Amino acid sequence: MNSVGEGCTELKREYDQCFNRWFAEKFLKGDRSADPCSELFHKYHTCVQKAIKEKDIPIEGVEFMGPSREKPDS
Amino acid sequence: MKLWSTEHIFSYPWETVIKAAMRKYPNPMNPSVVGVDVLDRNLDTHGRLHSHRLLSTEWGLPGIVKAILGTNRTTTYVQEHSIVDPEEKKMELCSTNITLTNLISVDERLVYTPHPENPEVTVLTQEAIITVKGVSLSSYLEGLMALSMSANARKGWDAIEWIIQNSERENVPLCDLC
Repeated sequence: MNSVGEGCTELKREYDQCFNRWFAEKFLKGDRSADPCSELFHKYHTCVQKAIKEKDIPIEGVEFMGPSREKPDS
Repeated sequence: MKLWSTEHIFSYPWETVIKAAMRKYPNPMNPSVVGVDVLDRNLDTHGRLHSHRLLSTEWGLPGIVKAILGTNRTTTYVQEHSIVDPEEKKMELCSTNITLTNLISVDERLVYTPHPENPEVTVLTQEAIITVKGVSLSSYLEGLMALSMSANARKGWDAIEWIIQNSERENVPLCDLC
């Protein structure tokens, strides 16, 4: 699957691979430890943020999302 | 404004369906989704996983809608927030379009839970609110969009089934398909 930033697709693939493994093998099995993919995510995220700015995609509040953010009304 | 909703049952346990739902794209049923990015992801204090994603889509608006709205096929962006609760066994996903919002808004909510009487199967409830703005035929267009939602829902279910079957048949981790 491609990234919105053409140059980010390989970084995304590496991160997805790491995340999907953790999600299936740890998270869904009740292991509460954090995923080991933060370094890969950081590289990928930096690349995507740049692409989003360049393409002027109107993302709301992405910079400010953190663990304490409540889910939106649905 | 039009509310659309439906329910679907997958003949697989919740964990199997959720794994496929997290890796839903790419799949042959939704070629219009051309990109998926994770914008933010974290665990909350209850151990639930929150993911914010950006979907890049070549939106297949019905031809008549395109003609009336005067927009060509173009990349439309959808923002998605999902919460996976492994303890309660519930995945909730909300999405909304963030471009073309001056013309239309499609807010969708999906919830995956185990069937209350049969834990071997999974129930997906799906609802959408469709609002077409600023055109006199809006209720007609909203009806057309609701029809399109039904067709797309079917594609989404088929996609989940496709992911599950492909991962099991080839016995490879699904992440390698991404």
